[in-house]
Amino acid sequence: MKKITLVIICLLLIQYSFSQKRYFTKTGTVSFRAGTAVEDIDGINKSTTSVFDAGTGQIEFALLVKGFEFNSALMMEHFNENYMESDKYPKSIFKGSISNIDKVNFQKDGTYPVTVKGTLEIHGVKKEIETTGSFKVNGKTVSATAEFPVTLEDYKISIPGLVKEKISKTAKIKVNCSYAILK
Amino acid sequence: MKKIKKILLVVLVLGMAGAGYGFYLYHKKPADVRALTANFELTASKIVADFNADETAANKKYLDKIISVKGIVTDNKIDTTGQATVFLDSGDPLAAVTCSFYEEEALSVKSLQKGTEVTIKGKCTGKLMDVVLNKCSIIK
Repeated sequence: MKKITLVIICLLLIQYSFSQKRYFTKTGTVSFRAGTAVEDIDGINKSTTSVFDAGTGQIEFALLVKGFEFNSALMMEHFNENYMESDKYPKSIFKGSISNIDKVNFQKDGTYPVTVKGTLEIHGVKKEIETTGSFKVNGKTVSATAEFPVTLEDYKISIPGLVKEKISKTAKIKVNCSYAILK
Repeated sequence: MKKIKKILLVVLVLGMAGAGYGFYLYHKKPADVRALTANFELTASKIVADFNADETAANKKYLDKIISVKGIVTDNKIDTTGQATVFLDSGDPLAAVTCSFYEEEALSVKSLQKGTEVTIKGKCTGKLMDVVLNKCSIIK
């Protein structure tokens, strides 16, 4: 836990020693859909912290599992206590890099497709993932979006037989971050 | 025969009550934090200091609790989706208090002035860089 904070702090400090631009947000949105035809199961986290380096393409996301909001009290309880065990695993983290960062022109407004590769940690399990997304440059801000599936079993999230019909085996994750230049 | 009928009736009533309760639980909305009394009333500096000193202990104490936190507004923003956030100064340059608001409360965030003191109520979800509260509203 402390390590993560340290890593983020280090990243912040490093940016002072290099002139390369870093972009940062504390209000990124990560949402997921894990429902089936039987029932909608949606959660949204509005306080995701993320930083990326416009030069190297390094990118990181961190969120608090307890920060997911639901429409149903029961869903929220099951999500935290049974599936994600948020007391035991309070944070989810992604660390990786954008392989085609050189194709993004931060000087020119527009939408650029990006490919991201890295390690996603959910429920205490780390796994390599790769996905595509887009960077939208608008003046000094950059909005990033990505969508990718996560197989619950990969992260040792087990669904009891009773509700197997209701919960999808894969959750669709949506990321939406609006970054500003880190001063 | 009569006895069986009676038993069946009791079972039926119990069953319906159970189903009703299940239905109620199933459709119950998460608690409206605005309507709840705060478990803790403290300053932004104090809660950040507590998390910095011992995160495990602070998690035990504050997680999922309703916190009323007083501090100076360093920034307030409302993004394109209507999501409103206020940052409170804690005295620690690397850790503030992030308050993510109910969408309906966005208007009150818009009129906030940077540098003024404010008291915000929300639910503590833990600490990333900042201590994070969600489902926030302005108290004062």
